[in-house]
Amino acid sequence: MVKFTVEKLRNIMDYKHNIRNMSVIAHVDHGKSTLTDSLVAAAGIIAQEVAGDVRMTDTRQDEVERGITIKSTGISLYYEMSDESLKNFKGDRQGNEYLINLIDSPGHVDFSSEVTAALRITDGALVVVDCVEGVCVQTETVLRQALGERIRPVLTVNKMDRCFLELQVDGEEAYQTFQRVIENANVIMATYEDPLLGDVQVYPENGTVAFSAGLHGWAFTLTNFAKMYASKFGVDESKMMERLWGENFFDTATRKWTSKNTGSPTCKRGFVQFCYEPIRQIINLCMNDQKDKLWPILQKLGFTLKSEEKDLMGKALMKKVMQTWLPASTALLEMMIFHLPSPVKAQKYRVENLYEGPLDDIYANAIRNCDPEGPLMLYVSKMIPASDKGRFFAFGRVFSGKVSTGLKVRIMGPNYVPGDKKDLYVKSIQRTLIWMGKRQETVEDVPCGNTVAMVGLDQFITKNATLTNEKHVDAHPIRAMKFSVSPVVRVAVQCRVASDLPKLVEGLKRLAKSDPMVVCTIEESGEYIVAGAGELHLEICLNDLQEDFMGGAEILRSDPVVSFRETVLDKSSRTVMSKSPNRHNRLYMEARPMEEGLAEAIDEGKIGSRDDPKVRAKILSEEFGWDKDVAKKIWCFGPETTGPNMVIDMCKGVHYLNEIKDSVVAGFQWASKEGALCEENMRGICFEICDVVLHADAIHRGGGQVIPTARRVIYAAQLTAKPRLMEPVYLVEIQAPEQALGGVYSVLNQRRGHVFEEMQRPGTPLYNIKAYLPVIESFGFSGTLRVATSGQAFPQSVFDHWDMMSSDPLEGGSQAAQLVVEIRRRKGLREQMIPLNEYEDML
Amino acid sequence: MDLESNYEIARTAKFISGGGFTRVALQFPDELLKDSVRVVSVLRDKLRRLRESQSDSDRNGDVKDVSLFVMADTAYGSCCVDEVGASHINADCVVHYGHTCFSPTTTLPAFFVFGKASISVSNCVKKLSDHAVRNGKPVLVLFGLEYAHLIQQIRDEVVETCTSSSGLEIQFAETMSSDMKPSESHKISNGSSEPASVFSDDKCIRTVAGNRYSIGGLVWELREGHKMEDYLLFWIGSDNAAFASVVLTFNGCEIVRYDARSNCMVTDLSQQRRILKRRYYLIEKAKDANIVGILVGTLGVAGYLHMINQMKELITATGKKAYTLVMGRPNPAKLANFPECDIFIYVSCAQTALLDSKEYLAPVITPFEAMLAFNRGSEWTGAYVMEFQDLINSSPLVSRNQSKEARFSFLKGAYVEDFDIQEDDEDKEGDLALANATEKALQLRDNPNSLAKQPARSGAEFLVSRSYQGLDILNGNTLPEPYLIGRSGRAAGYKNEKSGEEKL
Repeated sequence: MVKFTVEKLRNIMDYKHNIRNMSVIAHVDHGKSTLTDSLVAAAGIIAQEVAGDVRMTDTRQDEVERGITIKSTGISLYYEMSDESLKNFKGDRQGNEYLINLIDSPGHVDFSSEVTAALRITDGALVVVDCVEGVCVQTETVLRQALGERIRPVLTVNKMDRCFLELQVDGEEAYQTFQRVIENANVIMATYEDPLLGDVQVYPENGTVAFSAGLHGWAFTLTNFAKMYASKFGVDESKMMERLWGENFFDTATRKWTSKNTGSPTCKRGFVQFCYEPIRQIINLCMNDQKDKLWPILQKLGFTLKSEEKDLMGKALMKKVMQTWLPASTALLEMMIFHLPSPVKAQKYRVENLYEGPLDDIYANAIRNCDPEGPLMLYVSKMIPASDKGRFFAFGRVFSGKVSTGLKVRIMGPNYVPGDKKDLYVKSIQRTLIWMGKRQETVEDVPCGNTVAMVGLDQFITKNATLTNEKHVDAHPIRAMKFSVSPVVRVAVQCRVASDLPKLVEGLKRLAKSDPMVVCTIEESGEYIVAGAGELHLEICLNDLQEDFMGGAEILRSDPVVSFRETVLDKSSRTVMSKSPNRHNRLYMEARPMEEGLAEAIDEGKIGSRDDPKVRAKILSEEFGWDKDVAKKIWCFGPETTGPNMVIDMCKGVHYLNEIKDSVVAGFQWASKEGALCEENMRGICFEICDVVLHADAIHRGGGQVIPTARRVIYAAQLTAKPRLMEPVYLVEIQAPEQALGGVYSVLNQRRGHVFEEMQRPGTPLYNIKAYLPVIESFGFSGTLRVATSGQAFPQSVFDHWDMMSSDPLEGGSQAAQLVVEIRRRKGLREQMIPLNEYEDML
Repeated sequence: MDLESNYEIARTAKFISGGGFTRVALQFPDELLKDSVRVVSVLRDKLRRLRESQSDSDRNGDVKDVSLFVMADTAYGSCCVDEVGASHINADCVVHYGHTCFSPTTTLPAFFVFGKASISVSNCVKKLSDHAVRNGKPVLVLFGLEYAHLIQQIRDEVVETCTSSSGLEIQFAETMSSDMKPSESHKISNGSSEPASVFSDDKCIRTVAGNRYSIGGLVWELREGHKMEDYLLFWIGSDNAAFASVVLTFNGCEIVRYDARSNCMVTDLSQQRRILKRRYYLIEKAKDANIVGILVGTLGVAGYLHMINQMKELITATGKKAYTLVMGRPNPAKLANFPECDIFIYVSCAQTALLDSKEYLAPVITPFEAMLAFNRGSEWTGAYVMEFQDLINSSPLVSRNQSKEARFSFLKGAYVEDFDIQEDDEDKEGDLALANATEKALQLRDNPNSLAKQPARSGAEFLVSRSYQGLDILNGNTLPEPYLIGRSGRAAGYKNEKSGEEKL
C-alpha cells in the first residue's frame, strides 16, 4: 500500500494526462475482486494518518458471506513508472506518477446496474475472463455496455494457476484455450465499429491482453517477456512481442524462427517456448520443493528472495516466487497506463455520448478538452449511503471544470428539459470529498477527470443528475444512463408492527435512492411492493431496507409476486357492442392480437406514440404487413400512452366520431392498464373500433357517457377474442460439467424450463446450456440446481421475454384460470371474473 | 310491531308541540316511504289530541295548526338531514326517520326516529358474555341505532348473567338524545371559524374530554387510564356504513360483529381491514394528482362550507388546481364528465364518505385523506378520522414545508417533482414577466402529431390538449348546408336499424 497525505493525492489529481479511470468488469466468479485486491495490496492509496488500522478492503458483511461483490467500490491506486518503461509511451504525460481510479464492479447479473453506473464515470475497462470458463453471458453483456459507452477495454485472461495446477494442460493446449478466449472477446468487440474510438479489439502482441493469476498475485503481458528476451535475441521489443504470439515457432535445436510448426520435437510455438514453459518450470520446481534447482534459475531471471522467504514450502513458496518475478500490479497497471486512455484522451470522443446539447457549445468543448478552467460539468452516477443513517454521498465524475466545497450548483435531474423548471434545483455543495481507501477525505476542490463524492445534495438528487455552475443556465444535461436489466421480481412488504409504517415508507424511499434498479411502489390493494432484477438482488435490497434504512424494524415479506400480462390469441369471435349508461350511444369493437414482434417493437421504441404518423405507417406496412390507410388511423397507445396496445379507428362515415376520441382514449388507457381477467396490464392487443352510434345531442355523448362505455366494450372485445395470460420468462445460462447435465435437465424439466442451446466449451469438460425458464418457476431455482448437481452448476438468469400461457383462463380449473383466481385474491378482487354479459350489451 | 311505537309517534308529537313548531318536514328514506302516509295521519291525530288537551289546560287558543310535509328522495345521503329540501317548504324543524349518521345540522332543529328492529336478546347476551369470557379483556358494546330500544334490556340481562363470573367488564355505549339543535354549530358554517370551544357540546365531536368518545350517534366514556385499544369492540347490527366507519375509526381495536338477523357472530373482518389499506393506496394516488375536484356531498352537515374552503386553500397551497363541483349524489357517469380531475374529494357526512368502486375513473377520497395527502410531511399514523368536523379543529393548516426536496411517488416508484402553479404567478408581476412569457412561447413543442400527452396542470390546459375542441366554424363558407334527415325512433333501436329491432 502507498501511504499518502491528502495534499499529495490532491496534487496528482491535477495531472490530467496521468489519470486513468477504469472499471473492472467480468462474469461472476471470474476473479475480479481477487485481482483487484492484489492491485490494491501493491498500489492502493491510503491516508497516511490511518495507515496502521485500515483493512485493505473493508467489504460489506453480506458480500463476505456470499463471496460475491454486491456494490461497486472505488479505489485509487498510485503507480510510479520507471523512465525506462515509459520510453515507448507515445501519449502526453506529466512526469512518471500515475493515479489510477479503479472501480471494482459486481459480476452477478442481478447487479448489472452497478456496472452501468461504474462505466459511466470511467474511460477504460479491465475485462477479466476465466481462462477455463471463457467468455460467459455476463462478460458479453457488460462488454457490450462498456463499448456502448465508448469505454476502451483491455483483457486479462485470469486464473492461469488453474492451467498449471488443476488442469495440468500442456503448452500448446493452453495456448489454444487462451487464443479462443481472446477470439471470443474480440468477436463481441469487433461488432462495435467506431471511427473515433478506433479498433477496440485486443491483441496479446500489442500488450492489450494480460495473463494473470489473481489468487496468487502474479500476471504478465507479453511486454514483460519481450523485454526479457529482446536483448538476448538482439531484436527490438516490438518485434519480439509479435514473435511471442500467434503462428511463430522456434526450434531450440536450430535456433530458427518459423511461421509453421516444422514437426520437429524441439520446435515449439513462441508463446509456449518462452512464456508458458518457463512459468510452468518454475511452478513445478516450487511445488516439488526442488530448491536447489530453483535458486540458480531465479538468479538468472535477475531476482532473489529474502532469506526468510527461502524457507517457504510448496504453494506458499510458489506464490512468493511468482509474485516477486511477475508481480500482478506491475503488469496490469502498466497495461492500463499504456493502453487505456487518460480523461483528456477519452473525453474527446466520449463527449458525443455524454452531452445532450449541441456539440459545439462551450460545455461540449470543455468536456471535449477536459478543461479544468472551463464550466463545471459533473455527472452523479450513484448515491452511496453514508455512515450516518439516511444521508447519502453523491458520487460522480467531473468532466470539466472544478467542483469545490461551498460551490452553488444547478442540479439537473433525469427529467430536466432545458428551458424548463422541472427537475431543477440550485443548491450549494457542503463538502467535496475524495475516497482514500475506505475513508473519505475532505478536499477544497476536485478538478476534471476525477471522481468525487459530495455532501449536501442528497435531498435533491434522486438517482443520478448533472451538475453545473449556478450561472450556466444554458447548459444541457449529460445523457442519462440506460440500464440493461429490468425489475421483474416483486415482493410485497409490510411491517410487523403497524405503527412502524412511517419507518417503512421512509425506508422504501431511501432504498429507492440507494439503488437505481430497485422500484418501490404501492399496489391498488395498498400493499407496498419492492421490485428487483432478480431473487438475489431483491434479497439484498430487503436486507438493506430492514437493517440500514429502517433501523432494524421487522418487516414481513410475501412470497415473490410475478406480474403477468393479458393478451388475446385470436380475433374477436364477433363484433361486440356496449351501450352508454343513458343507452343513447353505442360502441362496436373487435380485438385482435398484434403481429409477432410488434409489441416488442413498441417496447423498444421503434414504433411509438411520438412518431410522425407517416413514418409509423411506413414501418407498420413494410415490416408488419399493415394496410397503409389503417396504419394512419391509430388513435392511441396504452397503457400510459406508450404501452404495447392500440386503438384503431376502422369505422367509416360516422358523425361526431372526432368528438368522442378523447373519451375513448381515456377509457382505453384505463382498461389497458387493468385488463378484464385479473387487472394486469394488457399486451399486444389491437382494438378496432368497428362502428359507433352516437346521440345527436352533444350533451348526451360527453365523457361521462363514453369513457365507461369504452372501457366496457374493450373488456368485452378482449373476452371474446380468446384471452390469454402472458408470463415473464427468463433466459438462463448454466455452466456445468458433463456429469452434472442430468441434474440440470431434470431441474429444468420440473420447472417448465426448456433448453434451446447446449454447447461444450472447446477444450474444457464444461457445457454451456441456454434455456428459457418461466419467472414464476424460478424462485429457489439456483438452490435446487445446486442440490441436484452437488454444486457444480451455476445459473445466471435475466429477463428475456413475455410468453403466452397456452391454457384458457376462461375454462374453469385450467392452470391459467387458477392463476387468475390467485391474482384476483391477492388484489382483493372478487375471485370470480366479471362475466362477459356485464360488459357486452344487446340491441 | 305496531306503527305507533315503531315510529315513536308519541315522542315525536311531544317534540313538535314542545318546540312550538308549525311547519314540520318528515324525512323518509326510500325503504320507509311506503309507511309515510300512515305515519302522517297517525301523527296528525296525535298532535291534534295533544293540542286539544293543551288548549284545555292553557285556554290560550292561539296554538296554531301544525302542517306536516313528507320529504323523500334526498339529494345526498338519506342518513343526513336534508335541510335544503326542508327549506323549500319553509319548515322550522325536521323529523328524520330511519338510519342516521347524526351529523350536526346547520340551521334547523331535527328530531331523529331510529325505528325499531327486532333482535333475539337472549342469544345476543349469550354470545356477548361468551365472547367476553373467552378474551378476558374489557368489552365495549356498540350497536346500530335501530337496536337502541333494546339495549337497556340487553344490558340488564348481561349484568344479570355476568355477576356470576366476576372480573368481567362490559361497557355499553349510549345513544345521543334524539333531538338536535343547530344553534352552536351554526356559527361555523357562517365562516367565522371559532375555535374548538364551539364544539364543546358533546354532540358533535368524537373526542371531547380525554376519555369521552362519540361516533355516529353513540357516546361512551372510558374509565380513567384506559385507551380504546384496551377494549374489545362488540358491534350489534348489520354490516352497513355505520359499522364501516367504526371499523375504520378504531382500526387499532379488535372488533367482532353480532349479526342480529342471522343471530351469529362475524369475526372475519379482513374485508374491512382491506378497505383501510385500499384507502391508504388512494392517499398515495392523491399525492400524484395535479387537478383535484371537490365534490359537494352535503348541503346540510354543519361546517361543510368551511371544510370546502379549507380544502381549497390546502390544494392551492400545494400548487395544485382545485375545482368545486356540485352534482348531487356522485355516480361513475357523472364523474367521468370531468376526466381532467385526477382525484375527487368528497365532502359529506361520515357515513356516505367512503365511495370506492372500481367503476370510477378517478378515485374519490375523504377530506381527512386529502389532508394526509396534500400536507407534505404528514404521515399516516393509523388514526383515521371520518367526520370532517373533527378535522376543522384538530389539524389546522400546517404551513407548507418549503423544502423543495423531490417527492417520492409510490405509484411511479420514483422521485417526482410537483408542479408549482404559484411560482408562475409570482413571475407575472416581476420585471421579467414578458421575457419569461416569450421564453415559454419559444419552447420546443412536442410533435403535434404525437399521441402521447403530458399530464395537464389545470382544466384549461387539459382542454387544450384534447384532440377535439368544439365545432369548427368555417368562416369563408356562407352557403347554407344542405339539410340532412336525422335518425328517428328510440335509442334502443332507431328506425333505420331494422336488424336491431328484429332481434328484440
